[in-house]
Amino acid sequence: MNIALKCDKITMKFGGLTAVNEFSAEIREHMIFGLIGPNGAGKTTAFNVITGNLKPTSGDVNFFGKSIVGLKPYKIVSMGMARTFQNIRLFSNLTVLENILTGFHHKLQYNIVDTVLRTPRYYKHEKEMRNTARELLKSVGLLDKADLKASGLPYGERREVEIARALATGPKLLLLDEPAAGMNPQETLNLMYFIQEVKESFNLTVFLIEHDMKFVMNLCETIAVLDHGVKIAEGNPEEIQKNPDVIRAYLGDIDA
Amino acid sequence: MDLTTILQQLVNGISLGSLYGLVAIGYTMVYGVIRLINFAHGDIMMVGMYFAVTGIVAMFLPWWAAFLLSMVATALLGVLVDRLAYKPLRNASRISALITAIGVSFFLENLFLVVFGGVPKAFPVPSVFGGVINVNGVIFPNIAIITPIIAIAFLLILLFILHKTKYGMAMRALSFDMETVRIMGVNVDMIISIVFAIGSFLAAVGGIFWAMRYPAINPLIGIMPGLKAFAAAVLGGIGSVMGAAVGGFVIGLSEILIVALFPPLAGYKDAFAFLFLIFVLLFKPTGIMGEDLERGRF
Amino acid sequence: MNKKTILTVLSVVLLFLFLWYGDGHLSTYAMRIWEEVGIFLMLAASYNLINGVTGQFSLEPNGFVAIGAYVTAILILTPAQKEAMFIITPMVPWLQNLHMSFFPALIIGGLVTAFVGFLLGFPVFRVRGDYLAIVTLGFGLTIRVVSNNTVPITNGALGLKGLPTYTTIWWCWGWAVFAMIVIMRMVNSEFGRAMKAVRDDEDAAIAMGINTFWIKMTAFITAAFFEGVGGGLLASLITIISPTMFTFFLTFELLIIIVVGGLGSMTGTALATIVVIWGSEILRVVEQPMDIFGLHIPGIPGMRMVVFSVLLILIMIFAREGIMGQKEFSWDSLFNFFKKNKVAQK
Repeated sequence: MNIALKCDKITMKFGGLTAVNEFSAEIREHMIFGLIGPNGAGKTTAFNVITGNLKPTSGDVNFFGKSIVGLKPYKIVSMGMARTFQNIRLFSNLTVLENILTGFHHKLQYNIVDTVLRTPRYYKHEKEMRNTARELLKSVGLLDKADLKASGLPYGERREVEIARALATGPKLLLLDEPAAGMNPQETLNLMYFIQEVKESFNLTVFLIEHDMKFVMNLCETIAVLDHGVKIAEGNPEEIQKNPDVIRAYLGDIDA
Repeated sequence: MDLTTILQQLVNGISLGSLYGLVAIGYTMVYGVIRLINFAHGDIMMVGMYFAVTGIVAMFLPWWAAFLLSMVATALLGVLVDRLAYKPLRNASRISALITAIGVSFFLENLFLVVFGGVPKAFPVPSVFGGVINVNGVIFPNIAIITPIIAIAFLLILLFILHKTKYGMAMRALSFDMETVRIMGVNVDMIISIVFAIGSFLAAVGGIFWAMRYPAINPLIGIMPGLKAFAAAVLGGIGSVMGAAVGGFVIGLSEILIVALFPPLAGYKDAFAFLFLIFVLLFKPTGIMGEDLERGRF
Repeated sequence: MNKKTILTVLSVVLLFLFLWYGDGHLSTYAMRIWEEVGIFLMLAASYNLINGVTGQFSLEPNGFVAIGAYVTAILILTPAQKEAMFIITPMVPWLQNLHMSFFPALIIGGLVTAFVGFLLGFPVFRVRGDYLAIVTLGFGLTIRVVSNNTVPITNGALGLKGLPTYTTIWWCWGWAVFAMIVIMRMVNSEFGRAMKAVRDDEDAAIAMGINTFWIKMTAFITAAFFEGVGGGLLASLITIISPTMFTFFLTFELLIIIVVGGLGSMTGTALATIVVIWGSEILRVVEQPMDIFGLHIPGIPGMRMVVFSVLLILIMIFAREGIMGQKEFSWDSLFNFFKKNKVAQK
């Protein structure tokens, strides 16, 4: 199996505060990898380093054999890495379809001159993109919502649109930042099936951060645990559940 | 250039810089708590000058009473502007608040144009500030010496308030995370009002000393110093009070020194702030004190 | 061509028929205002592209219009005129002898302004934050300082006089329609979607692989081009330009237009341009002396600006959406509107 993502001793410091300390992980292709940890453990910071939004203080991120540290985030997206956000961040004034279309932006095949002159090339590719977007929406069961404003959808569907939008960029690796946050048990369950389905049909590797233990235990093959920026454990769900360090980190969290 | 001139220019630059610093503090504090560029800040400085003139000329107050009254009235004006124009837009998009700010700026300028006319008014400089002082044969205007002393005094008082009082701590906490502070039971609106009051008070101080330095005022006089003060705030790292003060000194000194060293550029004096702003954005967008912004503001 | 395209073309033809009729029948004053409406429509649509569609608050118009005006003016003045005008310092020779007809002069005016837009946008868009507004505000002030001081190019405070009056109602509206087509086509494409994405959520836009820097640049440079051309048209319309002419009031007027029309709506902008420009003419009343019920109120010069700024603040607080919000006028919505009314009548 190929290694999709390799984090090599990533450290991220803000001023005097170390948010992530020498975080290392290897994520094999086609697996669902979970990163858990109490609030403020540095999970999202680790994500932001991987996606290029933050430049790590030290360490290396390797994506399918290429170091991506220092690359612009949009560049990393075009290499096949897509993400969602903890607090769903759709383009609220665009329709669902238009939201999906923005995902094709980095492989846009017409230029500004085509746009202004409305050349055949413009019409051809605009039509192609719209068809592809509809197909994508159909495959995730959201086609009937295509022309609705994104801000008008219920919470669970907004999350699904956000994931579909990330899929539109054509990723090999999908990063999900607390996808189940704010969802009720039924929505969470639906989301779990949804993620599994898209993982299979789009042939993805999934790397997710989650606070909800049950969600991660049911979905992920391998789980790493972060506490105060340090990785304290890694293993399959059973191992993680039994790990005394993990229990302590979480109990400590409840305590506080 | 001989040593005397250099010394005079240096004092002159520090004096001008301390004025920019005073105005910059208002920009930086408001930005720190509500992330708004208060375009009206330069105009609030202008209003402070007119309040002072009105106090002296129309109300026949002694200068110190007029100045004090102006500072307090301007502080209240700042609070009023926030309450009436900015507060209703706290949860709207950023662009709405920015547009409103420019609206307030234009309103103040034009209201004062209508009321006082566009012809420059003489600012009555009290004799204490009018004379010159002779230090070992080098002559300085009094005002050039007094301005930085006043500015530094106010800066120290402000730093004391920010770091040693309950309200100051609330202000600093607010710049991190408004929601958490709100949940903790702090009256966020009141803290924001205090920030506007402090910023506008200092703008009035800056305005009055500006008017004594260049004793002819008109309703558009706040625009240029306002822009330069903003450049100072960005240079210092927007959100940082110390940064704003340091940025003010840097911009004031450079302006004076460039003109002193290259007299043909004097006509372009007002373009410097703009160039500064561009250079800061190009090379040091986080500002001089920027590194600390992740940890703490002010 | 489908039915809707035909309707759109028809309404543009109707517009030009109206202007043609007006050219012969309306007063010179009224036609002058309609000329201004054309130019302002182009300016406002450009301004809305960067502010409303892309969501980057900017205050560039007066500075950019000034650049376009100066460049065009210098190019359309004859060498003899320039020699006579530059009495303090002679003009730099290569500009002195540069002379061309109106259209290329406008294009060059637009291109030079677009280049300035590039130079300004470059440092600003690399950093996050609302710096564009303050930088462009500063630029407007700086361009005044510079045009006052670069006497061998701009003739300093004396300004440039006696420009040939090329600008007609056709120039104004020809450019206005052209600008509207270009900008609306841009908005209705992947570029427009990316601009709106940047407006709605910049982080998410980056996460979609959008190069937000260039998207902002595209919007800003396009706006700059048309503002430069608009400056050229204005210069030849007014025939005199000087450093103090393109003040912040121009930007403020445009800001009111795009806010009234709806930030992000081009058809709203078109509607608002007509309303605001004509409204602004009617508002001149408040600056005239008047007698109400025997009470004499002296004219208050500058009162219009106060009214304008109060209006802007009130709109932002109470009617942020403007006339159209972010929506565009479409024939479909018009048909639907009539259909609904019919149903309601039955």
